[in-house]
Amino acid sequence: MKKGFLFLLIVMITIAAVGCGKSKKNVIRFATWDSAEVLEVQRDIAKRFEELNPGVKVQVEAYADGYSQKLAAGFGAKNPPDVMYMWDFPTYSASLESLNQYMEEDQSFKAILADLFPGIINYSTIDNQIYGLPVGYTSHVIYYNKAIFDEAGIPYPTNDWTWDEFREIARKVSDPSVGRYGFAVPTQPDPYDFEQFLWTDGTAYIAPDGSTVDGYLNSEATINRMQFFADMIKEGSALGAQESISRAFRGGNVVIQESGIWPLAAHIEAIGEENLGIVGLPRASKTVPASSVINSSAISMAKDAKNKELAWEFIKFYSSPEAVKMRAKTDLPVLKSVADELGYNEDPFYAPFYQMLETAENNTPAFLLHPQYSRIAEEISNAIEKIFVDTINGETVNVREILNYAVEESKQYFTDK
Amino acid sequence: MKANVIRLKHMINLKKSNSGVKKSYVPYLFILPWIAGFLFFTIGPLIFSLIMSFFDWPIVGDVKFIGFSNYIRAFTSDKMFYHSMGVTFKFALIFVPLYILIALSLALLLNNEVKGKSAFKTIFYLPSVISGVAVSMIWIWIFDVNYGVINYLLSLVNITGPNWLGDPKWAIFAMVIASLWGQGTMVLIFLAALKDIPKEYYEAASIDGAGAIGRFFKITLPLITPAILFNLIMTIISAFQQLTLALVMTKGGPSNSTYFYAMHVYNNAFKHFEMGYASANAWIMFVLILTLTLLVFKSSSAWVYYESDGKK
Repeated sequence: MKKGFLFLLIVMITIAAVGCGKSKKNVIRFATWDSAEVLEVQRDIAKRFEELNPGVKVQVEAYADGYSQKLAAGFGAKNPPDVMYMWDFPTYSASLESLNQYMEEDQSFKAILADLFPGIINYSTIDNQIYGLPVGYTSHVIYYNKAIFDEAGIPYPTNDWTWDEFREIARKVSDPSVGRYGFAVPTQPDPYDFEQFLWTDGTAYIAPDGSTVDGYLNSEATINRMQFFADMIKEGSALGAQESISRAFRGGNVVIQESGIWPLAAHIEAIGEENLGIVGLPRASKTVPASSVINSSAISMAKDAKNKELAWEFIKFYSSPEAVKMRAKTDLPVLKSVADELGYNEDPFYAPFYQMLETAENNTPAFLLHPQYSRIAEEISNAIEKIFVDTINGETVNVREILNYAVEESKQYFTDK
Repeated sequence: MKANVIRLKHMINLKKSNSGVKKSYVPYLFILPWIAGFLFFTIGPLIFSLIMSFFDWPIVGDVKFIGFSNYIRAFTSDKMFYHSMGVTFKFALIFVPLYILIALSLALLLNNEVKGKSAFKTIFYLPSVISGVAVSMIWIWIFDVNYGVINYLLSLVNITGPNWLGDPKWAIFAMVIASLWGQGTMVLIFLAALKDIPKEYYEAASIDGAGAIGRFFKITLPLITPAILFNLIMTIISAFQQLTLALVMTKGGPSNSTYFYAMHVYNNAFKHFEMGYASANAWIMFVLILTLTLLVFKSSSAWVYYESDGKK
């Protein structure tokens, strides 16, 4: 009895092992950082790919908040997923497969390449090698509460509004005694996002050739813009906060918010479509368009991927109009044809995002310009935080000194190449 | 006769050696799971990280042997190294004495015969059972400058509470308070030590006219010094390894005022992807904690009283 059972067990295990072994050949591991509804959409795309390619299995690996750690661990252990969402191309490019050759050899792909909005693919290009295909993006816009604007008798802003007009409006609607502020300044912003304000003012964190931060991070324009935000906090027209700015907006405590597309759905649900206004970022001068940072997600292939041809097919499908349309609610379409088809260019809620995309080609984010950007970003982050936190707590703040200090501390990363 | 004796001896020897061999490996089988775990998940990674600390080991890319460069870099060209050490030391200096004091006080309270003693024991132990991240989320709300519980209570006595998590001057104290709340095992250890003190000592002392304070300082305290030693070492070790609270509540801010050393290691590893350097950082901390522990041990002969030695 025992022997028979043992024999059966061994047979079952062997069959399972063989069965698993067989399917290993056509399995693609796909890692994503999304969760909830966004993840569901991605799972649907994976299922659709399996439908179109019988015998293939896509293993969706959702790493959520621990994405960068899990991915780093996977690459470190030489066991990365085959295909993954990617953003940090400077760090990972050595372990990613360059897609140039695949794109050249694959005629059907030319159409997609031409259909992409220009500028976005720069974010996944290092040394003219394309390491990832853009699959979604967001630019940054201004959300504002129309109901409060109506109450205060303020006309809705248009894309050519300036920083000074912005500040005037913020002052008009602020009333700290009832806990209402015109704007919210994030006190620990991601330096990556914050750089867009510098671009609008014609400067940046770092020189275009990546050779120095002196004269950029501490330029007059940068100092003035930082002082501008600090002054807004001091005079009470802006709230200095880090957590729950979106929630404060929905509660009417913050009237103007700067962000990407992420809070759009929740804002509409909370205050209603008729009360939500979206407009482009303020300009430095009426005639020069403002710049926005692009948060782009791309999909990449690992150099150690087991079945590269299959991985390329998946990447192609993921960037195709069909898949882009499936993701349209949560990731702005990167294909012109899809954006046109869905009317995003006219939709009052989506059009501003596309308008902010128009200046994308002009600016390269600092993280692509220097290999040790993460260290420099820490100095920038410390400086920004110090300026805003000290302002909130009533300390005297010397913006020039703080930024000069950050430049000094960053010098060590420019000598040893 | 002789042959029989020899045969018997032989049989006994065989039996002995047989059962001897049998007896000697079975215990090892029992502890094998733990030993295997210890080797693979503790000693193994320890040695691996020691090796890594002598390399420039990026998460992606080639690995380069650089000898002691990581260690030299930590001590000479890393200002955050000293800053995070400073924050950690400051935290430990405030936290360790307070933590032991509170644990001892709670244990003394529990040592009395009060109604609902077991209920209190459970309540005092509960904090240590809740996950660090969940605790941190609760404390974020409690410390909120406008809507938090602490500032509300302070406002009832007309004090405007500080911006606990947003003011560089106060954030570290917020960390101390949140950490002090995590009482648990230490209370039980002290309680066990207190219970070990024979009642006769107290009776003899009262007869000789000692008051409650005299009894505490002359009898209780000396006799629980072994427990104090243990708790002191454990608390020092955990104080220097503090990470969860800062990671979740303040991310090292505001303005790096809660940038613990463990966070520096974490950032070097997972933000800057410099595994070799982070490993060197970790080993420096290991040596530091080891040194402190040895110092405490060495000093213990002066103040720890073991009943078994009868030393003063």
